[in-house]
Amino acid sequence: MKYLPSRRAFIAVSAASVLALAACGSGDESSSGGSSAAPAASKLVVIITPSPDNVFFKAEQDAAAAQAKSLGYETLVLSHDDDPTKQSQQFDTAISRKAAAIILDNAGADASVTAIQRAKDASIPTFLIDREINKTGVAVAQIVSNNAQGAGLGGQEFAKLMGNKGEYAELLGKPTDTNAGVRSKGYHGILDQYPDLKMVAQQSANWDQAEALQKTQTILQAHPNIKGIIAGNDTMALGAYAAVQASNKKDIVVVGFDGSPDVVSSIQKKGIKATVLQPASKIAQMAVDQADAYIKAGGKTDQPEKQSIDCVLVNPDNADSVKDFAVAGS
Amino acid sequence: MAEILEAHNISKNYGGVRALKDVTFTAYRGQVNVLVGENGAGKSTLMKILSGSEQPTSGEILLDGEPVQLDSPRTAQARGIGIIHQELSLFPNMSIAENLFAGRELRRGSAFVDAGGQRRRAREVLKRLGQDSVDPDTLVGDLPIGQQQLVEIGRALLEDVRVLIMDEPTSALSNHEVDVLFEVMADLREQDVTVIYISHKLDEFRRIGDWVTVFRDGSLVAHESMSRTDTGWIVRQMVGRDPDSLYVRNSSPVGDVLLDVRGLTVPGTVKVDDVSLTVSAGEVVGIYGLMGAGRTELVETLMGMRKASTGEVSVRGVNEPKGTVQARMAAGLALVPEDRQRDGLVQTMSVRDNILLSTVARMTRSGLLNGAAEQKTAKEKVGELAIKIPGLGAVVTALSGGNQQKVVLARALLTEPVVLLLDEPTRGIDVGAKSQIAGLMAELAAQGFGVLFISSELAGVMAMADRVLVMARGRITAEFTAENVTEEALVAASASESVLEGHS
Amino acid sequence: MTDTHVAAPAPTAAPQPEEPGSTALARAALLLLRGRTLVVLVVLIIIFSSISSEYLTQSNLILMTKHVAINAILAIGVTFVILTGGIDLSVGSIAGLSSMVAGGLLFKGLNFPGGTVFFSVAVVILIGIVVGALVGAVNGLLITRFRVAPFIATLGMLYVARGAAQLHSNGGTYPDLAGTEARGNTGFGFIGVDSILGIPVAVWIMVAVAAVAVVVTTKTPFGKHIFAVGGNERAAVLSGIRVNRVKIAVYVISGACAALAGLLLTSELGAAYPDTATTYELNAIAAAVLGGTALAGGRGTIIGTVMGAFVIGFLSDGLVLVGVSTFWQSVVKGAVIIFAVITEQAQQRLQSSLTRRTA
Repeated sequence: MKYLPSRRAFIAVSAASVLALAACGSGDESSSGGSSAAPAASKLVVIITPSPDNVFFKAEQDAAAAQAKSLGYETLVLSHDDDPTKQSQQFDTAISRKAAAIILDNAGADASVTAIQRAKDASIPTFLIDREINKTGVAVAQIVSNNAQGAGLGGQEFAKLMGNKGEYAELLGKPTDTNAGVRSKGYHGILDQYPDLKMVAQQSANWDQAEALQKTQTILQAHPNIKGIIAGNDTMALGAYAAVQASNKKDIVVVGFDGSPDVVSSIQKKGIKATVLQPASKIAQMAVDQADAYIKAGGKTDQPEKQSIDCVLVNPDNADSVKDFAVAGS
Repeated sequence: MAEILEAHNISKNYGGVRALKDVTFTAYRGQVNVLVGENGAGKSTLMKILSGSEQPTSGEILLDGEPVQLDSPRTAQARGIGIIHQELSLFPNMSIAENLFAGRELRRGSAFVDAGGQRRRAREVLKRLGQDSVDPDTLVGDLPIGQQQLVEIGRALLEDVRVLIMDEPTSALSNHEVDVLFEVMADLREQDVTVIYISHKLDEFRRIGDWVTVFRDGSLVAHESMSRTDTGWIVRQMVGRDPDSLYVRNSSPVGDVLLDVRGLTVPGTVKVDDVSLTVSAGEVVGIYGLMGAGRTELVETLMGMRKASTGEVSVRGVNEPKGTVQARMAAGLALVPEDRQRDGLVQTMSVRDNILLSTVARMTRSGLLNGAAEQKTAKEKVGELAIKIPGLGAVVTALSGGNQQKVVLARALLTEPVVLLLDEPTRGIDVGAKSQIAGLMAELAAQGFGVLFISSELAGVMAMADRVLVMARGRITAEFTAENVTEEALVAASASESVLEGHS
Repeated sequence: MTDTHVAAPAPTAAPQPEEPGSTALARAALLLLRGRTLVVLVVLIIIFSSISSEYLTQSNLILMTKHVAINAILAIGVTFVILTGGIDLSVGSIAGLSSMVAGGLLFKGLNFPGGTVFFSVAVVILIGIVVGALVGAVNGLLITRFRVAPFIATLGMLYVARGAAQLHSNGGTYPDLAGTEARGNTGFGFIGVDSILGIPVAVWIMVAVAAVAVVVTTKTPFGKHIFAVGGNERAAVLSGIRVNRVKIAVYVISGACAALAGLLLTSELGAAYPDTATTYELNAIAAAVLGGTALAGGRGTIIGTVMGAFVIGFLSDGLVLVGVSTFWQSVVKGAVIIFAVITEQAQQRLQSSLTRRTA
C-alpha cells in the first residue's frame, strides 16, 4: 500500500516553497520605496491597469512606467484585474501614499467614477487611458483610442479580404465590456453595407483564446462554407486561427483587433490577415506627459479632457514596422 | 385504573411486510407504561402511529374513550401527545431557553423574540424537572448528555403534554443520570402525566414501570402489571425461550498472556491514568465503568487511534512501540468500536466491502482485486458468524443492529488478531442478538483468542466475563473474578476512586 | 439468499423479493433515475439534431467529444478527490500552470548557467504532469498534515498556482510551441491536434485515463480505500487504512489529471497563456456532480463523471452550434446542473424507501 512515499511528499513541500520564493522574487512592481511614506511633495506616479496577462495592458503599463521614470518619477504599478472593488482599494493606497498623479485604465465606466472623485478630492489628478468613464469633469484627461474608427478600418480590410462577399462569423468580446459593443458596432457599420457578406454565426468568446478555439471549431461544423472570421480582439483571433489551422480550410480569413505582437508576427508569417493596432504605448506616454505638465503647471492643463487617438491598420504591408503596440513613424 | 390512550386492532403494512398485526394496546393514565421487545418487534411502529407520524393500515385510536385521527405529529401534539426520540434533536450551539422554544419562539410585538419571557418559562420548566440550579442561558452543548435528555423532555412539557412517549431515553445515560431521569418520571406521574416508555434495559425499567407490555414479531404477546412479573418472565415473553441460555459463559482454559499493558497514560479531557492490565489466551476480560470513565479512550489508545504519553503495550510478549493503527493491527490487536454508525461501518458500502475493508489489500492478483477471493472470504465469514444478510452486495445499512455488529466483528477477525477489543459489543442490539454475541465471545476465547470487552450493563458484564476490571476517572479501581463479583461491588467501584486504595 | 455482484461501488439497493404493483413501478423509476445522465444526453442529442442537421454528423460528434475530453480528464481527477469527501478547486489553475511550464520549456527552454537546454516533447509533457502532481501533493499535505479544510486549501492553491502561471512569463503568452528540428522539440501538436484512426489523440487519451481510473476505483484495494475514506473516515482509520496517504494520493491524481488537461488544451491551441483553463474547475465539479458523485463523498463512479462531462460538452457545443447567445448558454447550463442534482435527491429517496420496505 505505497501510494506516496513520504519522501516524495517532502519534495512536494520543497517544490511549493521554491514556488513561493519565486513568487516573491520576481514581482514586477517597480516601486522602490515599499511602504515608506512618500514625502509631501510626492514624486510618485501610480499606474493602475487591468491584468498584464494581456500583452496589451502589459505594454501600456511598461510604456507608462518607463516614461514616468524618464521624467524622474517613482512608480507604483498595480493591476485591478477588472474588479472595481480592488481598483477602489488601490485608489485608497494611492491616496494614502499621496501620489502626484494616477494613470488609470479603469475597471468599469460607471463603477470607477467614485474612486476617481475620491482621488480628486484628495487633490490627486487622474489621467484615464484606453477606456472612458461615463462622467466628465472628474478625471483630468480621458485619452482613448478611437475604437469605432479602428473597427471601421478593420471592417473595411475584412470586407476587402473577403472580396465583398461570402459567409463569415464574428467572435464578440466579453458582453459586459463597452469596447466589445463599440467594436462590433464599428465592424457592422461597414460590413452591413455589403449585401453579399452574410454573417452566419455570432458568439461571445469572452476575450479568451481557448474559448475562441472551441467555439470556432463548433461554428465551422455548423457552417462549413464560412470564408472569414472577424474577432473583437487579438487573443480571440489567435484562438480562431488555431481552429482554422486544425481544420482543412486554411484559406479562411481571420482578422483581429489590438495589434498584439503575437498577431503581428502571425501576419508576418501570412497567418492572420490583419489587425487594428491601438496605440497603447503612445496613449500611455501621452498620459504621463500630460500628468507631468499638469503637476509642473501647478494643477492646470491646456488639453481637452476627452482625447481620441486614431487606430492604425496592420497588415502584411506594415507589419514589419510594428513593435510594442506602436507603428514606427506613426 | 383509567385508560387514557388506547389502540384498537391496529395493523400496519409496509409494502408486503406486516409490521404490526392486530395490536390492541392500552396506556393507563398517570402511570408509567413500559414497552419491551426485540428490535423489529413493532414497538417503534406503534409509537410512530400513536404520535401521528405514521398512519395505521387498519384499526382505531381512542383518546379519553373518543376515537381520534392523528394525521400528523402536530395534531398529536395539539391533543397532548408528545414523543422523545432516541436520538436527541437539540441545537448544541443554542441555550437551554432557546432550545425549549426553538420553532415556537415567544414573541414580543410581531418581530422580536421575547427572550426574557422565554427565560422565565424555561426556569419554570427546569424547576419542574428538578433542575433548579441550572441557568437557562447555558449552552445545551455544554450540558452532560443526561441533562440534554431532560431539556428534550422540557420541550414536551412546554406543550402541556398529557401523554409522553419516550423511546429508549437511557441508552446513552450514566447510572446517576438514569436515576435523575427516573425521579423526573416519578414526578411527572405525580402530575398526572402518562408515560409510555420503550426500553431494552430489563434491570432499569423494572424500577420505574407500572405496567409492562411485551411485543414480539409485530404482535402484542403480553400485558401485565409490573408487580406481577419478574425479569425471567419478561425475557421469556420477549425471546420466547428461557433467559438462562441468554449469556454463554466462557469456560476455556487460560493460556499465555497475549496482551500486556503497563502504566498506560493518555492525557485529555477524558484521560487514561496509569492503566496496567493483561489478557490471556482463552480469557474473556470485561471492563465495567460509567460513561466518561476512560474505557473507550483506553481501547482506542491500545488500537493506536490515540497517542499515549507514557506506558508500554506488549502483544504476545513483544513490545509494540509505534502506536499506529497499522502497527497495532499487525501486532495482533483488533477493535470493534462502540459506535457502529460513527466508527465501524462505511454506510455507503456494501456488506462485502465492509467485511473486507481492513484486508482488501491482501486480496489482489497482479495489483487488481481478485473478485472470486473477495467473494469467498466474505462468504466464509458470513457463514462462520451466522450473519443474516439479503446478499453480500446489499448496502450495510439494510442490516439489523446485531448483524451490523457482526459485520464489524468479521472485519476485525479477518485481520488475524490474537486479542479482540470489543467496545460495548451488546449495546443497542436486541436480546436475541446479545445472546449470540456473548456466544461468539465465548467461542472466540475457546479458539484461543484473548477477548477484552467494555460494558456498562451489569448483567452482561457479570455473566460474560472471567475477570472484571472496573474503571473510574481513567484508572482501574477494582478487579474481580467471576466467582467473587457482585453488582454492589461493581457499582461502588465504578462510582469512586477511593476503592482503589482498598484493592491495590 | 440472493447475491448481487456490483462492479462499481455505486449505491446498490438490497436485492428484493419480487413484489407486484407500485414497487415494480418504483424500481423502474429508480433504474431511469440511475441512468439519468445517459437519458439527459440522449434527450440533448435528439433535441439538437432536430434543430440542426449538422449536430449529429460524424465530424461534429468527433469534435464535440474532443472538446469533452479536456473537461472529462479534469473531472475524473476531481472525482477521485470528491469520492474521499474532499474538493479540489485548484484544477483550473494547475492546468494553467502546467501549460505555462510546458509552454516555457518548448518556447524558450530552460536556462542554466552553462546555456539553454531544450527537452524533447515527451520529457516536456512528463515535466508538465509532474508539476501538476506536485501541486496536488502540496494540496494533500496542507489538508492532511496541516489540517486545512480542502475547500480552503485548494481555494488558496487556485490563487497561488494561477499567480505562479502568470509569474512564469510575467503575464505574457508563449505564442509558438511548434519547436524546431534543431532543438529536437517538435511534435507538441500530436496530443492536441493529431488524430489516430480518425479519432483525435486527445479523445484516445481521455479513454485511456477513464479506463485506468475505472480500474483503479473499482478493482484495486486503493479504490476501495478511497470509497471507505469518503464513506466514513473514522471507520477507515480504525480499519487500518492509511487515510492520510489515500488523501494525498487523490490530490496528486487530481493535480496530474489537471496538468494533462492543461497540456492537451495548450497543444491544441499551439500557444500557452497564463489564463488557460480559468474557471474550468467549476465545469469539472459540475461534471462530477451531474454524473452522480456525492459531494459528501463515498458515492460516485468514474463512468458517471465522464457521462456528466459529455452532457455539459454536448450541451455547450449544441447551444453554440444552433447560435444561442452566451447569456442563454449560461442559464441553460446552470438549469441542467440543478435539475440533475434534484433528480439525484429523488433517486436517493426512492432507493432508501425501497431498501426500508424489506428491511
